[in-house]
Amino acid sequence: MSNRIAIQTNNLHKDFGEVYAVRGVNIEIQSGEIFSLLGPNGAGKTTVISMISGLLKPNQGDATILGHSITHEPLAAKAALGVVPQEIAIYEDLSARENLMFWGKMYGLRGAHLKQRVAEILETIGLADRQKGRVEKFSGGMKRRLNIGIALLHEPEVVIMDEPTVGIDPQSRRKILDSVMELNKQGMTVFYTTHYMEEAQELSDHIAIMDHGEIIASGTHAELVKIVGELDRIELNINTESDRVMETWKNTPGVEKITAENGQLHLLVNDSNLVLPQLFEKAAQVGSRITSVEIQEPNLETVFLHLTGRALRD
Amino acid sequence: MRILNLALNDLLQIIRDWKSFLFLLIMPVIFTLVFGFAFGGFDTGDEEVDPRLPVGFVDQDQEQISPVLFALLKKSDAIRPVTFEEDTTLEELERIVAEDELAAMIIVPDGYSESLPTDQKLKLIIIQKEATSAGATVQNGVQAAVNRLTNSISAAQFSTMIQAQFNPFGSQTDQDAYFDGSLENAVASWDAPPFTLISTQTGAEEERAEQPNAFSHSSPGMMVQFAIAGLIGAAGILVIERKSGSLQRLLTTAISRTEILIGHFLAMFLMVLIQFTILIGFAAIFLDVGYFDAPLATILVTLTTALFVASMGMLIGTLAKSEEQVIMYSLIPMFILSGLGGAWVPLEFTSPTFRTVGHFTPVAWAMDGFQNIVMRGMGLESVLMPAAILLGFTAACFGLAVWRFEYE
Repeated sequence: MSNRIAIQTNNLHKDFGEVYAVRGVNIEIQSGEIFSLLGPNGAGKTTVISMISGLLKPNQGDATILGHSITHEPLAAKAALGVVPQEIAIYEDLSARENLMFWGKMYGLRGAHLKQRVAEILETIGLADRQKGRVEKFSGGMKRRLNIGIALLHEPEVVIMDEPTVGIDPQSRRKILDSVMELNKQGMTVFYTTHYMEEAQELSDHIAIMDHGEIIASGTHAELVKIVGELDRIELNINTESDRVMETWKNTPGVEKITAENGQLHLLVNDSNLVLPQLFEKAAQVGSRITSVEIQEPNLETVFLHLTGRALRD
Repeated sequence: MRILNLALNDLLQIIRDWKSFLFLLIMPVIFTLVFGFAFGGFDTGDEEVDPRLPVGFVDQDQEQISPVLFALLKKSDAIRPVTFEEDTTLEELERIVAEDELAAMIIVPDGYSESLPTDQKLKLIIIQKEATSAGATVQNGVQAAVNRLTNSISAAQFSTMIQAQFNPFGSQTDQDAYFDGSLENAVASWDAPPFTLISTQTGAEEERAEQPNAFSHSSPGMMVQFAIAGLIGAAGILVIERKSGSLQRLLTTAISRTEILIGHFLAMFLMVLIQFTILIGFAAIFLDVGYFDAPLATILVTLTTALFVASMGMLIGTLAKSEEQVIMYSLIPMFILSGLGGAWVPLEFTSPTFRTVGHFTPVAWAMDGFQNIVMRGMGLESVLMPAAILLGFTAACFGLAVWRFEYE
């Protein structure tokens, strides 16, 4: 990993009328690293990416790609950038090869070099044997891979991937994650957004957690987990409505935070060995019974819960 | 280069859609044949509808020249004279033109015949609406007839003078009779001229070998109508591109927003141009429609109509939020513009009010342009006004599309 800065944002703001989408985002991504922006749906991740890739103009602030300002040198900034949008942005009436040829021309590739890059990308994304098939007949995973391949045609130094694994089967997801790591091994800087904690944890050198348009924490995985200290995360299911039980558990010594999601209760506690017996006892006092318990080591989910009081999937 | 690549990408998608061929080529050919057949396209009978513009003819002169002028006007490809009593009031004549009962009124003033052989020639009085395509057509038709008349008179005068030198007339009556006979011969010789006169002032002089047939109306009418219907595919590409995120992805490349707009516009323009070229070729070769009689005029009307249809496609693609809306936004204007604009029934057959309303639509001007060529046998000058107005509609639609185009 070099010390060169691949992407830097400086106090990025974006609002849509009365609604604030992004507030004062500062990110610094080193060249050659995988940087994940983690946050729930609606946190503002796509808006940040849209501003960095030149789709949206920030109301305030600026961003640079390899030193090129997106507001003052947009063409130079875009030339260094490959963008994988969240939507499958391809032409369904065309074949995989025709799509790649078209997008290659849009990235300024021509002639033999274009044909060579198209052939290489078709191999990379595993669609060489289906290159002449119409995209509309492809599976979701194949379309996703083509969506990624297009962004790599012009061999950009920096790739932005906006939730590229949304809505696909586990096998395709695995392939995409492997290809992201492979690209990174080849020296590409990857800016990855996701709301899947496991993806951010597995892929990233650095992670920023975003919520309500703001970066609420950033660092390596280890640094982020340290934020919650020695807290344990407990997930519980009970056989009654959660309201009365939550009220009872709130004041239990050692319980830091408690939330409910889809009938499941999430707790952050100081020491699960000491707290759990009390939870069983107090639940029984209000006529409830704990039906399942899972104790988890601190992870990014725990960090998000600790910082926002909400589960990441809320 | 990116503009061209974007346009070719659109065209590739249009070609892939079988509906494009249906709307752009198959349907217009079928409907051209059906409408042409309905208006007697395969008949050779005498009941053919006269497509020429009707104009009033008031003879206040009542001398020997004015009937000759009337006969020459009757032979015009562009106008059809209808006689009025010489004592009809000027107010009545103006009202008839103002209410579009006739395209114009030609008044032959008292003393016109006597003045023509002299240097103090009286001028015909023409009542017409200003700055209209019909007015320009009438002027061209009248000018052609007057040119023939004055040339015939000159020829008759010259002939009489030569005759008088070598074989003096016994009386003035003999001389007048000789002049009248010479004039009649000179006028008749226009029916089979020994040379072809090419005038740069009017296209009305250019004679068509064949009279226009019913396909001369149905061909341009259906061509324009189905060009608008064909926008379903082309405008749909814009909507799908926006919905799929491909438009946003394009903006992450080095292509500018202006280039994106021009690229899509170019694709639609080329699509319509190819459609028009094929249909014009088909109609000219197989249905004997006279598009090739005035090739420059045909090219000008074709280009400006294609520009208008493409700009309308851009507007539809901009305003529509879904593919269903594209169909709706294409078909509704297609029916309204085609119906009002005279694509189904010639506007000459409709009421004056309908004709006036129809000319608020671009289709009426496209039809005027094509009909001046294929039905009235006119040339380049006759299509300049329709072409200019079509360019105005193009600018308006394209401007609206640029204004409303959503990138984000």
